[in-house]
Amino acid sequence: MGEMTRDQVLQRVRRNEKLERADLRGIDLSRAALTGAMLARADLEGGNLEAAVLRKVSLKNASLREAFLAGADLAEANLENADLDGAKLDRANLAGANLARANLEGANLAGANLAGARLPLAQMSTANLTGADLRGAILTNANLEEATLGGVKAEKADFSNANLRGAKMTEGDFARALFASAVMAGAKLTRARLGGALLTKADLAGADLTGADLGDVDARHATLAGAQIAGSKLTGAKVAGLVGTGAPLAGVMVAWLDTSVAGDGTGRITNGEIPALLTGLRPTEEATAPASRRYFGHGDVLRNATLEFEGGARVEIDSLFENCVINLGEGTELVVGETGVLADCKIAGDGLVIVHGHFFERESPGIVGAREVTVSANGAFVGSIKQHADLTRFAFERGSRLRVKIIRG
Amino acid sequence: MSDNKRTLIEDGTELKGTLTSTCPIVVMGRVEGDLSGPSVEVTETGVLSGKAKVTELHSRGELAGEFDADLVQLSGKVRDKTRIRAQTLEVRLKREDGRMEMVFGDCEMAVGDAPDKAKAIANAMNGHGKKAKKADEPAAPAADPPADG
Repeated sequence: MGEMTRDQVLQRVRRNEKLERADLRGIDLSRAALTGAMLARADLEGGNLEAAVLRKVSLKNASLREAFLAGADLAEANLENADLDGAKLDRANLAGANLARANLEGANLAGANLAGARLPLAQMSTANLTGADLRGAILTNANLEEATLGGVKAEKADFSNANLRGAKMTEGDFARALFASAVMAGAKLTRARLGGALLTKADLAGADLTGADLGDVDARHATLAGAQIAGSKLTGAKVAGLVGTGAPLAGVMVAWLDTSVAGDGTGRITNGEIPALLTGLRPTEEATAPASRRYFGHGDVLRNATLEFEGGARVEIDSLFENCVINLGEGTELVVGETGVLADCKIAGDGLVIVHGHFFERESPGIVGAREVTVSANGAFVGSIKQHADLTRFAFERGSRLRVKIIRG
Repeated sequence: MSDNKRTLIEDGTELKGTLTSTCPIVVMGRVEGDLSGPSVEVTETGVLSGKAKVTELHSRGELAGEFDADLVQLSGKVRDKTRIRAQTLEVRLKREDGRMEMVFGDCEMAVGDAPDKAKAIANAMNGHGKKAKKADEPAAPAADPPADG
């Protein structure tokens, strides 16, 4: 037990005396009026603060591990870096509180009011926030892995760069919330309301978005690989650079999507092209039959040639090509095999280039407009790459040898 | 304890000048200038602009300037006029968790030993390149050919 009684604490608070670093472990301060108390670095582990009035208190760096704070009023309290591991904060009022870097791992915040609270870098993995009010709260870089956010009100909340892997966000209201670069892989978002949310570069791989409202979301460069989107609403979503689900669509409600790079509505597409965009299953890939495969075997030499390959073809080169120009159709995959050497060559077009062997350019740029360029662990690349208008995607594996200059398209 | 020490440039902090550290450096804010240390990690919120010479550079944020490292792992952004020299570079098309990777501005990268064009062509002409790990490296002693049939 701690060093002070309840009455002693209340007297000191009334006299505006500091209680910093006080040992108050296990104390019963339930329903106490402690507004403005100075409890920085105090140890309140296991304390009972049920329904206590703690408005604007300073609990910076305090320990509140396993404390019972159900129904407490902590509006505008300073809980920066406080340890609330396993604390019971259900129905607590934390509106406008500062919980930056606080440890809320496994805490119970069900029904709590966190409107406008600041929680950047907070540790909230496995925390229970069911039905909490997070409107306008700042949760940037927070760790919410496997947290429960079912039914939360989180309009305009900022989850940028947050870790929401495996979080349960079912039926939550996240309208116009910010999830830029957030990790939401495996999250449960069934029937969640995400209308107008910012999901740029968000990772939704394997997420369950069944029946979710994704209208007008900005999902540019987000990934939906393996995600379930059946029954979701996607009209008006910005999808440039989106990584699709990889599976056929089922029952998605979408009238149009915006594919413009700037997300300014200038790249509207309608029915015909939508499935390919959302699934990532391009018609050219589906159409790639063995007949459109070209193979140049090891030992062959081809010089001073210009080659054109139709869209969707797959071209494999294990030969030596010298002074050649290779034009790729849309989605054509050009693979320079481990024994392949492209010397003094140029590759142009909206294709995918994979270099396991060697590439040496003839003149700069050696590659123009490729959608993807990969140099594998055994590959070598010497030359310039002028990127695709929508930016080329690159992969360089460990072990690859490069003398590369990248130029904007 | 010292093994866990890191020099942190927090999000919201802007540092201009020279930073030298014996500990790993984590840039969550903005650094403009010269930086040296055993390793540098630039997080998603970090911006490193200037020069850095380190053993390892891991960036998920923004880089601009000149960087020299044994190992470089990149995601996030590389801005215009950036030069990277490294023994080993890793840039993934997608992360393991499926997220998209890099955005490159105009930049130059020199990674590993310089590929030898003449040797690569000679190996391709002579058939020495067959399944060689790196065709322009000295060929390994010939293995016994696989038995027929």
